[in-house]
Amino acid sequence: MGDHEVIGLEKWLKDNTGMDIYFWNFLVLMFFTLFEIGAVFFDKIPGTDVEISLMMVWGILIVVGIIKGYGIGAYFMHLKGDPSIYFRTAMFPVLFVLLMIFGIGLSNPDGVDGLPSWCTPNWDYATRR
Amino acid sequence: MSGHGADVKNSIWMRAVLFAGGFLTFGIIAFSILGIALAGPAHEEYLSAVDEYHHAEDDYHEAIVTGHSIEGDHDDPLYIAKEDAHHHEVEAHLSYLNWKVSGNTILVMSIIFASFIGIGGLINSLQPDAEHSDDEHEHHGSASPIIFTFGIMLFMIGFPGFANTVTEILTGTNAVLGEMAIGMIGLLVIILGVANWWREDLPFNGHGEQIATSEPFEGEHIRKAGIWVFIMSEIMIFATFFSSYLRMRTGWCTEWAWQNDMCADGATGRDIMTASDYLRPGGAAGTGDFWTMLPGGINTFALIISSYTIVIALKTAKAHDWSRPDNFMTKFIPQPIMKFVFPDQKRTVRNFLFATLLLGSLFIVLKLVEWSHLVAEGFTVSTSQAGSIFYIATGAHGLHVFIGLLIMLYLVFKADTVGYDEENAQGIEYFGLYWHFVDLAWVIIFPAFYLY
Repeated sequence: MGDHEVIGLEKWLKDNTGMDIYFWNFLVLMFFTLFEIGAVFFDKIPGTDVEISLMMVWGILIVVGIIKGYGIGAYFMHLKGDPSIYFRTAMFPVLFVLLMIFGIGLSNPDGVDGLPSWCTPNWDYATRR
Repeated sequence: MSGHGADVKNSIWMRAVLFAGGFLTFGIIAFSILGIALAGPAHEEYLSAVDEYHHAEDDYHEAIVTGHSIEGDHDDPLYIAKEDAHHHEVEAHLSYLNWKVSGNTILVMSIIFASFIGIGGLINSLQPDAEHSDDEHEHHGSASPIIFTFGIMLFMIGFPGFANTVTEILTGTNAVLGEMAIGMIGLLVIILGVANWWREDLPFNGHGEQIATSEPFEGEHIRKAGIWVFIMSEIMIFATFFSSYLRMRTGWCTEWAWQNDMCADGATGRDIMTASDYLRPGGAAGTGDFWTMLPGGINTFALIISSYTIVIALKTAKAHDWSRPDNFMTKFIPQPIMKFVFPDQKRTVRNFLFATLLLGSLFIVLKLVEWSHLVAEGFTVSTSQAGSIFYIATGAHGLHVFIGLLIMLYLVFKADTVGYDEENAQGIEYFGLYWHFVDLAWVIIFPAFYLY
């Protein structure tokens, strides 16, 4: 949230709407929150007969989570605009997070041979052992 | 903290004591309205609903014994009456909990807020005026974090005794107050550390902010680098919760997994209920609807709005030549409201920080109301692994929000007294980073625990 030069999309939004990037980011976050709650709340896409399957909900939650995470990190926490050292600092634990998710999160007792193949490519260690 | 500037007299610190009185008054009024005036009749209704249910249950069982009803016949009028009475009893219980828990929570939060700001202010107001502005040269560090950390260590050592005694007091059993001693000393040291921290920071006008002199943060503010490293460690803590949850969740045969043929071979059906089974519509518990989703949904919006209000507070503080906003949004807002929200630069910063404080407090109140509903429905921390991880993860997040609120109390106090401007707004900026992180953590916790 430090001082920085207003360029690109931020400048365009400011010049054309009079509202800064924080306001639009706030609206995007509000919209996507409503969207993810709606995805869980409705059985069918409103106005259609298309059923919202649980897998579809799963996908929506992950995609919306990424969008909201980006909005908060990039604009509210100002990783986009601040010196890159802050971005690198923020990225450091990502390695740890990935290790935790793959090493612990997806390693339940059934995980070695029960996870879908995209999770465990060419993994036959468990059966060989 | 760095160099000092503003002259902070004892009278300013006494305003902290006034703040404390304000919080306490608000807490007592809110408790009187919610916890007594509204919860009282709701409790009466709950008790009569319990009686009705027991009568309906007795009637039904008697009818089965006498042969007038057949067990398992769901079309039997007595069975339907029993189920209706049960439904009414549950509704009455949850309605009572809404008022009681929100009233109690607001009262307890107000007491904690008042204690922090009041004791902190009082300690600082008792020091000679000269003590507050004797340090014109650049500061070389502060002992406050060490005092504060020592207090936390003592509190954690004494926590089991502290928690036991508080539970005994609340449940009316024989409490041994001596067991609280170490925990209470820890709390006192924490408050002393915080009060000292405030005393050092309040006069800070932005001059002499320490700059890192070596790689990788060379040229950057040391405090900003520090808060980022702190956030880095926080990310790892929440990753631990999340990966633990994911590990268990991928092993459980939940309703969700069962419906999607994702349970392990040999599974005969769902074997565990998650919090989302109680909260989301279509959940396995069958209790989920719009109203059970509402607290979590409002909390999500509250955190996002609070992230935005703190951004506005910072922007306003940093504005070189501030004027009341004039854009297409403000055209819809009546002028008296605009003048109330945006009176001048200093008070606008305070107002938006205060709005952030209110939204964060709303989050805590709704969280505890929601927890009370889950506990009433039988989903507790000891019900299953699902209960443990849910309460630990959301509780840890709630604790972060609450600690943030205690810090925000001070920011509101400083904004109201010394004030923030473009020179010393770093305090808001660095706290804002922490607050946005708390919001970010919720962005993951909410869908993972409430919607999935």
